[in-house]
Amino acid sequence: MSQAINGAPDSHAHHGSGPVVWVAIIATTCLLLLVFQKVLWLVVPFLLALILYYFLFPLVRLLVFRGMSRDAASSTVILAFLALLSLSVVSLTPKIASQATHWQDTVDRYVQGGTQLLDASLRSLERHWSTLERAKLADTVAKRLSNGAGNISDHLEPVALGIMAWTPSLLLAPFLAFFFLRDGRRFKRFLGAAVPNAFFEKTLYLLHEIDRTARAYFQGLINLTILDTLTLAAGLWLLGIPGPLMLGLICAVLAWVPYVGSILGGLLVVLVAATDFPADPSMAYWAIALFVLVRLLDDFLYMPMTIGKSLELHPLITVLMIFAGGAVAGISGLMLVLPVLGVVMVIGETIGIIVSDPRLMARHHHARELRQRQASADL
Amino acid sequence: MVKLFGPTKSSPRLERLHGLSLFVNLTAGELRIVDGLLHERSYLPGEVIFDEGEEGQAIYIIASGEVLISRQEHSEPSANHAGSDLPRRRQGDTGRVAQLGPGTFFGELALLDNSPRSAQARAASACQLIVFFRDDFVGLLDTHARIASKISRQLACHLGARMRAMAQAMGNHQHAV
Repeated sequence: MSQAINGAPDSHAHHGSGPVVWVAIIATTCLLLLVFQKVLWLVVPFLLALILYYFLFPLVRLLVFRGMSRDAASSTVILAFLALLSLSVVSLTPKIASQATHWQDTVDRYVQGGTQLLDASLRSLERHWSTLERAKLADTVAKRLSNGAGNISDHLEPVALGIMAWTPSLLLAPFLAFFFLRDGRRFKRFLGAAVPNAFFEKTLYLLHEIDRTARAYFQGLINLTILDTLTLAAGLWLLGIPGPLMLGLICAVLAWVPYVGSILGGLLVVLVAATDFPADPSMAYWAIALFVLVRLLDDFLYMPMTIGKSLELHPLITVLMIFAGGAVAGISGLMLVLPVLGVVMVIGETIGIIVSDPRLMARHHHARELRQRQASADL
Repeated sequence: MVKLFGPTKSSPRLERLHGLSLFVNLTAGELRIVDGLLHERSYLPGEVIFDEGEEGQAIYIIASGEVLISRQEHSEPSANHAGSDLPRRRQGDTGRVAQLGPGTFFGELALLDNSPRSAQARAASACQLIVFFRDDFVGLLDTHARIASKISRQLACHLGARMRAMAQAMGNHQHAV
């Protein structure tokens, strides 16, 4: 026992996580993504609540510093946020209602512009390749689009129903955020208290790292959105497409859903270019080229630089895990893979360090023996 | 609003914290903020709190009980011990550095950097410890600089006193030689 207690200092040295730990981290991440896909109604408000928590936390901290209790500060900040949100909804609803018809016309116009561009492109291809001409590709696509597209209001109905179905679940977000703000520290202490003494410092470090990782991820997401918006806006402005900043911002927010969001954003830009410059089809092609360039920059430079860097992930692992997340759990997998991987990585590495440290395990066994001896002293 | 931002009432727990040398300069409101960051642990006699050479993450304050601080002896066995009746000290044996009581703290260097622990800490009797994690202290430096500076000052005073004691001990030793 004495030798164990006086263990060599070498046993405390930290070695990097081995391949076994990394395989476990990746497998756990994929498994969690599969589970999360089944409970999206809970995962989405939980994620929104986390974003809200990291957004509102500095205000709560400021009020606590001014002498307010944590409970009162959390309640005040959440109530102020809800009041602001309600005020915005109440003031914007009449404007949105009055503009709805105009927006519907605008959407119709842009969809028509896009259809015309597609038709012109296909007919141009038919002129160059006789095989396509014989297959009457342009006519077939036009027929399918006219059959499938229908009226714009037909598509708005399922969207509106989807929003209504998700509303109760999304209303959970501010309530969750309130409890995160109020009880976050208590939860940390509660978790810490459940851990044996031998692993206590390592666990505290782990909890701090998870907090740091989540904060870094959401800050990275905001930085990525700013970079995407500025790059797209600059490109669209150079091309002369109207409303470059607004278009860039919409596309950057859509890009929160990796790949699928990017495709939607690209379609939006092409529609605007094709409709506003009907006589100049090259403008639409330039817009596509710009979008492809920005996506490449985004996936291979911006994302590893912001989110990947904030999670301290290797760029190659970031890209591969995005593909793996999409393959395992579809769109939800694409969106959740990086934050989930970040948290699992911290937990996995810490457990790996604890389990592979013989000194910590020996101390834990020693403490357990002491407690057992104390409990059975008078038996 | 006045009540919301008014002075904080003191509680027995806050008063106990105020009695600890590290927090002696903090007001009740400041103590409440710090209290939200502290963890409590209980140890049985003989249980290791941390090991020499381990990466330090937190400072420990003794709320009750006693803690033994000891360090491994790295010196080679002296030739003078040959033939002596005294038990030989082997390399790797632990040497007692200090025994600390309630109100004192140890592992304070962990608040400043993540250097390895310079000694082992072990519960000499059943004890309750208050733990202050380094990252929470670093967070305080960013968000509540006044509180952090008051704690830092106490820490600096403590380290200064220890350096003086060491210098005096070394002076006495040289004088004796």
